[in-house]
Amino acid sequence: MLICGIVVLTTCVIFFLYDYYSFRTSTRQKLATYGQIISNNSTAALAFESKEDAEEILNALKAEPHIIAACIYDAKGNIFCSYPLAYSLNLLPVKPQAYGYHFTSSSLEGFQPIAQGTKQLGTLYLKSDLKAMYSLFKIYTIIISLILCFSFLLTFLLSKFLQRGISTPILALAETAKAISEQKDYSVRATKLSNDEVGSLTDAFNQMLTQIHEQTEMLNEFNQNLEQRVKDRTIELEAANKELESFSYSVSHDLRAPVRAIHSYTNVFLEDYADKIDDEGKRLINIVLKNGKKMGLLIDDLLAFSQLGRRELIKTKVSMNDIVTNVWNDIYRTDENRNIKLILKELPEAYAEKTTIQQVWVNLISNALKYTKNKPETIIEVSAEEKNGEIIYSIKDNGSGFDMKYYNKLFGVFQRLHSQEEFEGTGVGLAIVERIISKHGGKIWAESIVNEYATFYFSLPY
Amino acid sequence: MPFLKKLTYIRFSFLLVFCNIFFASAQIATREYQVKAAFLFNFTQFVEWPPQAFSTPQSPAVIGILGKDPFGTYLEETITGETINKHPLTIQHFTDVDEVTNCEILFINISDKNKLQLIIEKLKGKNILTVSDVNGFAKFGGMVRLYTKDDKINIQINLEATKEENLVISSKLLKLAEIIKTDKK
Repeated sequence: MLICGIVVLTTCVIFFLYDYYSFRTSTRQKLATYGQIISNNSTAALAFESKEDAEEILNALKAEPHIIAACIYDAKGNIFCSYPLAYSLNLLPVKPQAYGYHFTSSSLEGFQPIAQGTKQLGTLYLKSDLKAMYSLFKIYTIIISLILCFSFLLTFLLSKFLQRGISTPILALAETAKAISEQKDYSVRATKLSNDEVGSLTDAFNQMLTQIHEQTEMLNEFNQNLEQRVKDRTIELEAANKELESFSYSVSHDLRAPVRAIHSYTNVFLEDYADKIDDEGKRLINIVLKNGKKMGLLIDDLLAFSQLGRRELIKTKVSMNDIVTNVWNDIYRTDENRNIKLILKELPEAYAEKTTIQQVWVNLISNALKYTKNKPETIIEVSAEEKNGEIIYSIKDNGSGFDMKYYNKLFGVFQRLHSQEEFEGTGVGLAIVERIISKHGGKIWAESIVNEYATFYFSLPY
Repeated sequence: MPFLKKLTYIRFSFLLVFCNIFFASAQIATREYQVKAAFLFNFTQFVEWPPQAFSTPQSPAVIGILGKDPFGTYLEETITGETINKHPLTIQHFTDVDEVTNCEILFINISDKNKLQLIIEKLKGKNILTVSDVNGFAKFGGMVRLYTKDDKINIQINLEATKEENLVISSKLLKLAEIIKTDKK
């Protein structure tokens, strides 16, 4: 509508201006023509000083209502006669001026020589008003307004029609697309309303939808397939796992009893028959006891380890500081030979199972104490850091550390990086810690430089 | 003042007054003849002479004055440099009608009516526009009579007379004039 309006307006204005200028020219020419006629007819009257006849000739101008004044000057430039008779002589130019007609702000006027043959007898003055022009302007304005109104109406109707033909189907298509995207129902198809370009668009759109639909179906199928396979695999794994767990549980559980028996009976034997056995015998029995103890510990650890897999964690908000302090108090025995220092930093609260987390700290702290026993001064630092939505707790000791070359064995079951003579242990402690942390949804890792330090980190999610 | 001197003064003032009156009337007369001189010239613009009126295309157009010249220098001034159809205008003074040969307009300043009629007769066939301000000129057969009324100079034209001499008078001029017919006796 805007474009239509601009075009129509511009065209009208151009025509209007052209017409205005040509009208001006023709009006001026007309006046000049009148002038010619009047001056031609009034030569005799002027030559023979017949005022009445001259006035009669000027009065012929009555025929043109737009001519508002006229007068004839004699050869000397004085007013000879004027028209209309009532017109005040003050309003007429005193003397004739340059020939030709020109526009003023409110009139068209000018001078014309009156000559018979070659002799100039006087001058004619004509003055016309511009009412004709103004009434033309008015008419033009009305016409332009009418044209504008009409063309606006036409454009409006046309655009309504076009809307129906073009915009509405396109919008319908857009609506369908939106609905499909929102509801994710790719089986819906857009209705083809016409057989034109919009129709082809609809066809293409529907084709695309079919493709999407097929692909989605394929994906779904594939997904389901995978899901099924994963399920099957999980079942298999779970079964295997369960078997393994029950196996290790029963093994440890069932092994415990005889081990305990061996231990207690050997102890009793040692006590009751101490005087009956010689030193060699005592030494041998002690070796048996020691090994029995070791076996017992191993079995205990194994039992604990296997039990971890069996049940769900009961998580609560726990104060790490409290746990660490308690564990330390339990484990740490004042030893005059050793210089032990614990640096315990502010640990944020964790969302975890109290007993198992306690177990973690027990294992880590006892390891720290164990592996620093050869150092003159034992410094153990416990701290924490919040990072990326997790809390990372760390324990650093300045002990013997481990060779990073064997990092992959660190958290393995029964994997030991030192010999029993160096440091005793079952090789299960860190495996237990790793299991517990994994079950909490965290991670455990370590850094170390041999004989300098070892730092163990574990993360717990919020 | 001595009586003789007074008398001189009276005489002198009378003379002055008389002279003024004389000159005044002379001036009025001159004004009238100024206009008539202009008219005479203007007639050349509104009248068409037949080709036989001129001997050659360049021969002068003559405005003749028969009788006393009342125009002074005005007529000469008016026609200086003017032409009719490329014929230069000149003035000629005639004392007798027989002298009048090549002439286009003849201003007849003779008041004797009998003489006038004779003159008019004699001028026939010469394609001359006869003009006069004598009373009854047109009725006698003269072509143009100028007469003063209410301080305005009116024109009488005897159309028959002009037609006889093959002179075509512009309708613009005829419109202004009173058309007179020759008195048939």
